[in-house]
Amino acid sequence: MSSTAPTIHVIDDDASFRTGISRLLKASGYQVAVYESAHEFLKNSTRDGPGCILLDVRMQGLSGPELQAHLARTGNELPIVFLTGHADILTTVQAVKAGAEDFLTKPVSKRILLPSIERALARRDELQKKNAVLDNLRALTGSLTPREREVFALVVRGKRNKQIAYELGTSERTIKAHRHAVMEKLQVRSVAEAAAIAERLGLLSESGNSSR
Amino acid sequence: MGRLLHGVAAVLLWTVAMLDGALASHKRVLLLESFGRDFAPFNRFESDFREELSLQFEGTVEYFEVPLATARLWQGTGESAFSKYLQSLFAEHPADLIVAIGGPAARFLEQHRQQLFASTPALLTAVDQKRVDGTNLSANDAVVANTIDLGAAIDNILKTLPETDNIAVVIGDSPNERFWVDEARRVFQRFANKVRLTWLNDLPFDEIRQRVATLPPHSAIFFGLFSVDAAGIAHEGFGAIREIHAAANAPLFSWVDAYLGMGIVGGPLLPTREIARQAASTAIRILDGEKPENIQSPAIGFAPPVYDGRELQRWNIKEDKLPLGSQIRFRPITVWQQYWWQLLLIWAVVLVQGALITVLLLERRRRHLAESESRHRLIEVAHLNRTATAGAMSASVAHELNQPLGAILNNTETAELLLGADNVDISQIREILEDIRRDDQRATEIIKGFRALLKRQAGVETKELDLNDSVNDVIRIVEPEAKARDIIVTREGEQRRLLVRANSVHVQQVILNLVLNAMEAMSTGTSANRQICIRTELVAKGNIKLSVMDNGPGIPSDQLKRVFDLFHSTKSQGVGLGLSIARAILNLYGGRIWAENNPAGGAAFFFTLPLLMAHAT
Repeated sequence: MSSTAPTIHVIDDDASFRTGISRLLKASGYQVAVYESAHEFLKNSTRDGPGCILLDVRMQGLSGPELQAHLARTGNELPIVFLTGHADILTTVQAVKAGAEDFLTKPVSKRILLPSIERALARRDELQKKNAVLDNLRALTGSLTPREREVFALVVRGKRNKQIAYELGTSERTIKAHRHAVMEKLQVRSVAEAAAIAERLGLLSESGNSSR
Repeated sequence: MGRLLHGVAAVLLWTVAMLDGALASHKRVLLLESFGRDFAPFNRFESDFREELSLQFEGTVEYFEVPLATARLWQGTGESAFSKYLQSLFAEHPADLIVAIGGPAARFLEQHRQQLFASTPALLTAVDQKRVDGTNLSANDAVVANTIDLGAAIDNILKTLPETDNIAVVIGDSPNERFWVDEARRVFQRFANKVRLTWLNDLPFDEIRQRVATLPPHSAIFFGLFSVDAAGIAHEGFGAIREIHAAANAPLFSWVDAYLGMGIVGGPLLPTREIARQAASTAIRILDGEKPENIQSPAIGFAPPVYDGRELQRWNIKEDKLPLGSQIRFRPITVWQQYWWQLLLIWAVVLVQGALITVLLLERRRRHLAESESRHRLIEVAHLNRTATAGAMSASVAHELNQPLGAILNNTETAELLLGADNVDISQIREILEDIRRDDQRATEIIKGFRALLKRQAGVETKELDLNDSVNDVIRIVEPEAKARDIIVTREGEQRRLLVRANSVHVQQVILNLVLNAMEAMSTGTSANRQICIRTELVAKGNIKLSVMDNGPGIPSDQLKRVFDLFHSTKSQGVGLGLSIARAILNLYGGRIWAENNPAGGAAFFFTLPLLMAHAT
């Protein structure tokens, strides 16, 4: 299978519905993985590629919203489209508040289902891109030595070499060398650029708290 | 001493006086009977005469009865010998009075009067005037005669029974009776153009009896004297007339009132008692010393008509046909006259009882109506209950129904997509169509189950049904709801047919209410493995027991009995109808319902229904 084609994870306890929807999705060009329960999904799915989850609300064992909560706790990034036989307002509101991409009722036409899936996939894509940048930045910061990281944290807060040397209890000359290595490793030419990286990675507030 | 002698003398004198008086009033009377002492109707006359004599006469009378046996068969021969016998019999102690009773005796006395106690007074009585010659009678003789009007007797028959055209004449064959036959033939001549006369006098009694039994319609029988029949056999007492009456197929008439009550219809009759009284008073006057020739008694004729009520009724003779002033004896007493107060009582009891029965029937009918009314109410309520159930279950049914509908839609759209492609994958489209058909059937089944819940029962008719079928129906109905609530419904127990007689919708409703109740009970708990088990089994006394057990929180023990009460609910949203409806329905079919808590946890509801034995196995 092509790794670029997004995978739609269908979780529904009704076999004939699973068959029907997976046929439609496959015919529409998606990769489909079906699960008859939330447990099976948690056990057997690979969730890192592009895709989304089509989730039933009422199921034997773990229900749809319960799975949603579980995934949220464990850092799931797949958007969830709920698909239910009978939608009541309370369930709908709770699911959307908890971050559901959409809430659809069966029977669902492809005119509604496919755009909804597309939106979910787009969002997944966007998220993934964002994550890719951050991952890259994390990799750069990860290459810093502990001493360089300390220097980096103080540099992005606008401290002068003299202050840094004083704080770390070393010479200004040594700090200069560390600072040069940091700029080199992070592939930035200015302190402003380095500060932007720290900002995106959320290091500024973190370091600030720890420094107090 | 002197005084004592005086007293004795007085007593002796008194005794002598008494004896003298007694002797003076002691009379000897010779009764000369015509045939014998017990020949009717003279027997009746003789006893009446004695009675009257003893009533009217102050002294005592000593009777000597001498039957004139010769009169039975012959006349004349041997009579003088008999006369001599009598003379010698009473030679020493002559009687004070001779009384000749009946025609033959009178005639004998007349003929032998000169030889027979000429000095003794005689009284001829119970004899028809025509039989008294009178020429041989002396101044010492008196007569109390009667007159038999045979014509009047026949007139009476024709008056009371105007359709009579045949009269059978029953008279005996002794010399005296032959006289009367001749007399009757003479008198009856004037009726010859009105009626036919059948003379039975020359027949032996048995034949007479047969003849009177087979008389043609509109016949009557005239019974005269009957002392000796044509075969020479004497008939004592009232035997002859009784037998004739018993055999006769026609009404019986006669001329003497002695026969009244023996079977004759009645009419103008010779008054036996009157003749006896007259004879007795004449006898007393003679005994008292009056000269017989001075005593004149007119002949006694028929008394005013007297009838026997029983015979009138038997021959259907209306009382208004009888002559004016007629007397009716032996009037049959009607049941009402005899038992009027008993009848009144019975009537009253029957009336009261009838009223009571009517009241009870009305009461029963009212109860019946009320029962049928309440039955219809129950059906209404049960239907409302089902409708409410259906409403509550509609969400889960919709959910369940949308599964196949969703699959159908998706499959259809897929097929459209596939058909739009360059290379149409026919085998996949076939597969899709098969799935669509299957899902469609599934949707239909779900709707059927739901509609079963909403179906309105038209009547209250009961039929044989298998309880297991009802259980399966209920499981099908609650399946969506069970699925929605994550409850597994299982089935246990007897798999054979369990026939009961009930309305199928009612039974289904009971089971449904119990299952829904169990589901509701379990929704409050958090038990992960929610289960409801429905079990059917045969129990003692030909009953079927159905149990619905859950593993929910159970019922607080103080409420186990009250859960079936109307509007008693343990649920926050329940109205408390389901279980009371279940109980009402079971009562209707002779069943019972109760609740318990399972030892292992959860509640158990049970009910029993009578098993139809004929198809038990």
